[in-house]
Amino acid sequence: MDSNKKYWKGLEELNQTPAFVQSSKGEFSESIPVEDVLNEEGLSTKTPRRDFLKVLGFGLGAVSLAACQNTPVHKAVPYLIKPEEVTPGVPNYYASSFNGQSILVRTREGRPILVEANPNSVGLTQGTESATVASVLDLYDMTNKLQNPQINGRDVEWAKLDARVIEALNKSVQAGKRVAIVSRTINSPTSLAAIAEFTNKYPGTLHVQLDPISYSGIRAANEASFGQAVVPSYKFEQALVVLSVGADFLGTWLDGEEHTQDYIKNRNYKSLEAGKMSRHIQFETGLSMTGTNADVRIAIKPSEEAAVLISLYNEITGSSLAGGIQQANAATAIKLAAQELLKNRGQAVVVAGANDVHIQTLTNAINAAIGAYGTTIDLVNYSKKYQGSESEFAALLGMANAGQIGTAILWNSNPVYDYYDSAAVKQALSKIDFTLSFSDRADETASELKAIAPASNFLESWGDESSKVGYYTIVQPTINPVFNTRQAEVSLLNWAGNNTDIYTYVRNIWENSILAGSSKTWTDILQTGFEFKGNATAGAASFAGNVNAAASAATTAAQAIKAGDDFELSLYQPANIRDGRYANNAYLQELPDPVSKVTWDNYVALNPKDAERLGLGEKSTATIKAGELEIELPVLAQPGQALGTASVALGYGRTKVGKAGNNVGVNVFPFAQVNAGIIRFANKVSISKASRIYELAQTQTHHTIEGRNIIRETTFAKFLQNPASEAGRFSDDHKTYDLWNKYEQPGHKWVMAIDLNACTGCGACIVACNVENNIPVVGRDEVRRRREMHWLRIDRYYTIEENGQGYTKEDDIANLSSYENVSVVHQPMMCQHCSHAPCETVCPVLATVHSSEGLNHMAYNRCFGTRYCANNCPYKVRRFNWFNYWNDSRFDNYLNNEFTQLVLNPDVTTRSRGVMEKCSMCIQRIQAGKLQAKVEGRKVQDGEIQMACSSACSANAMIFGDANDPNSEVSKALRSERIYYVLEEINVQPNIGYMTKVRNSFEA
Amino acid sequence: MSSHNESILREPLVTGKKITYAQVTDDVLLPVENKPNKAWWIGFIVAVCGAMLWVISVGYTFWTGIGAWGLNKTVGWAWDITDFVWWVGIGHAGTLISAVLLLFRQNWRNSINRSAEAMTIFAVICAATYVVAHMGRPWLAYWIFPLPNQYGSLWVNFNSPLVWDAFAISTYFTVSLVFWYVGLLPDISSVRDRATGLKKKVYSTLSFGWNGSVKTWQRFEIVSLVLAGISTPLVLSVHTIVSMDFATSVIPGWHTTIFPPYFVAGAIFSGFAMVQTLLLILRKVMNFENYITMFHIESMNKIIMVTGSIVGIAYLTELFIAWYSGSEYEMYAFANRVAGPYAWAYWAMMTCNVISPQLFWFKKIRTSIPISWVLSIVVNIGMWFERFVIIVTSLHRDYLPSSWAMFYPTWVDVGIFIGSIGLFFTLFLLFIRFLPSIAMAEVKLLLKSASLQQKTKLVQEGAFPEEQVQYFRDSLTKYDSVSEEDINALRKK
Repeated sequence: MDSNKKYWKGLEELNQTPAFVQSSKGEFSESIPVEDVLNEEGLSTKTPRRDFLKVLGFGLGAVSLAACQNTPVHKAVPYLIKPEEVTPGVPNYYASSFNGQSILVRTREGRPILVEANPNSVGLTQGTESATVASVLDLYDMTNKLQNPQINGRDVEWAKLDARVIEALNKSVQAGKRVAIVSRTINSPTSLAAIAEFTNKYPGTLHVQLDPISYSGIRAANEASFGQAVVPSYKFEQALVVLSVGADFLGTWLDGEEHTQDYIKNRNYKSLEAGKMSRHIQFETGLSMTGTNADVRIAIKPSEEAAVLISLYNEITGSSLAGGIQQANAATAIKLAAQELLKNRGQAVVVAGANDVHIQTLTNAINAAIGAYGTTIDLVNYSKKYQGSESEFAALLGMANAGQIGTAILWNSNPVYDYYDSAAVKQALSKIDFTLSFSDRADETASELKAIAPASNFLESWGDESSKVGYYTIVQPTINPVFNTRQAEVSLLNWAGNNTDIYTYVRNIWENSILAGSSKTWTDILQTGFEFKGNATAGAASFAGNVNAAASAATTAAQAIKAGDDFELSLYQPANIRDGRYANNAYLQELPDPVSKVTWDNYVALNPKDAERLGLGEKSTATIKAGELEIELPVLAQPGQALGTASVALGYGRTKVGKAGNNVGVNVFPFAQVNAGIIRFANKVSISKASRIYELAQTQTHHTIEGRNIIRETTFAKFLQNPASEAGRFSDDHKTYDLWNKYEQPGHKWVMAIDLNACTGCGACIVACNVENNIPVVGRDEVRRRREMHWLRIDRYYTIEENGQGYTKEDDIANLSSYENVSVVHQPMMCQHCSHAPCETVCPVLATVHSSEGLNHMAYNRCFGTRYCANNCPYKVRRFNWFNYWNDSRFDNYLNNEFTQLVLNPDVTTRSRGVMEKCSMCIQRIQAGKLQAKVEGRKVQDGEIQMACSSACSANAMIFGDANDPNSEVSKALRSERIYYVLEEINVQPNIGYMTKVRNSFEA
Repeated sequence: MSSHNESILREPLVTGKKITYAQVTDDVLLPVENKPNKAWWIGFIVAVCGAMLWVISVGYTFWTGIGAWGLNKTVGWAWDITDFVWWVGIGHAGTLISAVLLLFRQNWRNSINRSAEAMTIFAVICAATYVVAHMGRPWLAYWIFPLPNQYGSLWVNFNSPLVWDAFAISTYFTVSLVFWYVGLLPDISSVRDRATGLKKKVYSTLSFGWNGSVKTWQRFEIVSLVLAGISTPLVLSVHTIVSMDFATSVIPGWHTTIFPPYFVAGAIFSGFAMVQTLLLILRKVMNFENYITMFHIESMNKIIMVTGSIVGIAYLTELFIAWYSGSEYEMYAFANRVAGPYAWAYWAMMTCNVISPQLFWFKKIRTSIPISWVLSIVVNIGMWFERFVIIVTSLHRDYLPSSWAMFYPTWVDVGIFIGSIGLFFTLFLLFIRFLPSIAMAEVKLLLKSASLQQKTKLVQEGAFPEEQVQYFRDSLTKYDSVSEEDINALRKK
């Protein structure tokens, strides 16, 4: 078809006239007159109106664009020489130890940011105390810690301080005076070795150990009963009957979390599935966290503790000691309890909380009678955590007053605050020539002393601990000392003339003594974190004490606190800040009390009837008097509190601890009584109404379920008949209809099962969640306004019992005659990640949406804060950022400084004001776990990913995992007959299953 | 119009003798064409102080965060949305008067529609400020609209009633504004025609070249009718959608299908009360007694009574259904309203909204100006409490008792509310100062048919039987703008 034919449109084209050529050039295009404009002439032409407008418009747009604010540029400085082990974005874990527990410290880019239990260790292996998780914040507590050593309140060089100390020590030795080291219990082999070297250098050095919360009564009783002055280890996993008289053994008594871990093994879903559940009977004054978990709880006065034990002893052994309990209710319970204890010989244990040698001797006698020694109580692998002795300290004060002490060194000890007789301590200290503290801050005691040699935080130090016989844990630093601090051991060795560096020193101790004869090497220890050489089996012991003498002495001692018409005062350690040493930790101050849900204060807890009698209502304060002591405290009407008694938490009222803890609450250590050199935290007081109005900051102000089925509970007997008893699952007898399409979740479906029988309410999960997810602490005022930010809370509901019936409705409760008998349930509550999430449909901007893995996501950047989602959340788990907590002077006690912000987890975005937030099911951990699996080319394994809360739970009450894996732990748990879903009937399809609460109560 | 006479049985809509077209213009334009009097200045200064309080309170909120308010983890909306719904509701009367009554040929609307519509617009402005102010990050408020954006596929959630709300309110505001402004055109032209100098220029611009030709009038009528047609569904839709903010939720006390009609009735109820509050003062201060007559007052009181009764039935229905549902959460929500810690708010609402309008069954009361005014205020208070009760007492105790909490307002909450009233009155006072507050053109339509002088003339001509005239005379006794002498003049000559 080759052709040279040419078509033309007109004669002009054919002829190619010049005019045609010209016009055809511009046929389809219009040339832009750039040259015309840009030449001399063009530039000088007058701008036409339309051009002017064009230029104006463009100019305006350009200027506004240019004026848009730049995001501030934060420059990251890259490593000049990258440390081999640090990969930005990948955490490193170091084994260390805190309060005797082997832990793993997570560090990111050289910053320790989270502490978790070492799952391969011994003792407490799954979960931690709240204080342990919160401890990372103390490292970054920059505004309150000392940055340099001080002499007389002025910063000095270490060399100068050392010279001054050595001079003082030599002077003491020369003058024939003694040197005293006052510390809390020290069980660290390294520390003890350092003290030994120091003592060698300065002969006659006294080492006095003083624990603010003392267990010297137990040690004295064991000395008398078994010839061993030790605190035994308790093996609650062996106990099918547990009877406690005033011991908060799941919380603050000895190793609460370790006890929890063991105790729950006989009560959790696995145990129930095996048809086994322990019975727990509690006699106590105030409603403790342990009391809330008891199957049977009897309120008694502190003065009746001895009587309860005498009666129990009588019932068990058939003897007839005088001084038994009169109260009919308690007597019946004791009778039943005695039968139970005898029936379960060797599987039962009795514990008593009072630090009183006679009461503890009675307890020993009972335990011996029920065969607890060698089974549930272990005197061989005893605990080394509490070796303090008040009598030794009192003797030391006497020596100081007599001028026999030349130098005193306080190590981890703050007696001006936490000794009952603060004035005596101050006076004695003033009689000592040279005094020094290793405190990291100028606390109540340190500020009275001549010098402070600030010790490094445990995260900055080398060391070790030995909390039990044969159990050693390593402390290794995870960061260089941030300030000019030096760990106490280094100081002591330095003054003793030993300049070995601490790493070598610790290593030598381990290699030469602890690891001697073991196959483990130093490197193994750094990796595993512990060495256990103890005996796995508990040793038996035979009781050789004098029960009769103990009973009559205990009865006499009870008279000292018997108050008659006044009130018997019980002082207790709070679950969060303990004896006051954690008072400056904002996470812990804002951790609500497990029972009262009060934050940021202590208060006097009274039975509501007593409060009413004294004219004390909400927001009242009361004056509490004992002899010359007089304090004013806010009042809390506490159901379950024994009539005629009052409970007040210790550890508050610190004055020199830091921004967060100063002047929070009132110090009640002075109310403790010392009896024959042993301190007892009880007293008798008179209480009267004070005029001040004071509102406590509670995170929960309504305390009963109002008859709603959000809590489902049954008894063990019913459970054995029908495991689904009271679970009342809505879907079993209702058909539901959906407005929405069902979405497939083909990959993972992340869900959780919560065992209400396992949760004790301790709150470690709350703190872990705070630390992991950078949740702001808001302070007392904001909690009062009900604006705490906790993503996870533990709802605590009371049922008030009277005449064999339980009451949960406000109106009914108002007419009851006593509020002593109360049963309690703790319900952890967080985002339920509903499949039909009501929050998701109402968000106008899709800031909260559902993921294909069943999670309810929150896109902070998209949220503009209408709060509609929070209103529409039936569980009220969404939290709104009312202020810019990171940059607002009202929140100075927490993160409002650039140092403390280093505690933030870089995997989790911090939220600005005006944005909603809530539980994300630790999505950063899920992503990290999935990524790890992907890198290793395998599927995610069950249990590999843990949420912060579940990994902090020593009771394993929260089981997290993939519901799409039928063999996962959570899938199995969710198939339990006890599973129910909260508010299932409104068909939001929550993805967190709860297991019914089962109580092993006495059958009526 | 004059082809047949209006029945003598109908009460006059314009009273006064010698009311001519010029007279109407003179009367209505008095405040616009003269320096404001003392009363206006006092009112204006007070209102501006209020508006300043609003600026301070909102400014403080923007500066520090929503934490400046009394809200908490449980009660996420309180005064903010209460005030928002209250203002939106108030706006409804204006639309109802201008649109629905126009379609139903209710001539008595002619003298009140202008102010009522102005009220609508200012009320919606006040309401809209809350939409922005209650946001945690108000600078991102534009995200509520489905604007194309650089974030990829980010879009609004068409399931969310808040998005519907944004459309409803913006549509409502736009349509109301256009309707109001179109209605203003002939009157602005009258001002223009009588003005001089700069004022004439300004009003010329504002009058969009109105020339008064027949074609102009014809188009004006058509546009009015079309806009009335557009507005009428809005009367129902806007508050229906506002009510869906609550009705589509899962919160007991919110989750109710009765909400749309109940909210619309409540809106009209509160709107008429607010019109009453404003007009009773306006007619007195501006000497509009001849245009806004007792007939108007009484008619509006009747509407208040009817809508108040509907609202009352809605309240009782809610209670009944809560019980009948058998849902314990629902039952508790209502028991808590009636007898819980906020029972005082519930009973304030019940008294103000259900009991007080029933007084209007008495003719004495509904024709008494002071009582009408007081009751109109009472109704507005009651309607504020209604929203407070719905929002706060539903939220503060919902499903899980652990989260139950109380709400206490801060000074900022109060400041923004009082401030918004100040803002509203500032705008309203500026309106009566610069624009004719009665639709002159439309009132003039009535002169030849429904005015007293016209009827008097017809009576004197003997156009009606005596018993009808007597009825008419009797109906005039309630008019405060009609003298004994005027009534006596109603005799056949």
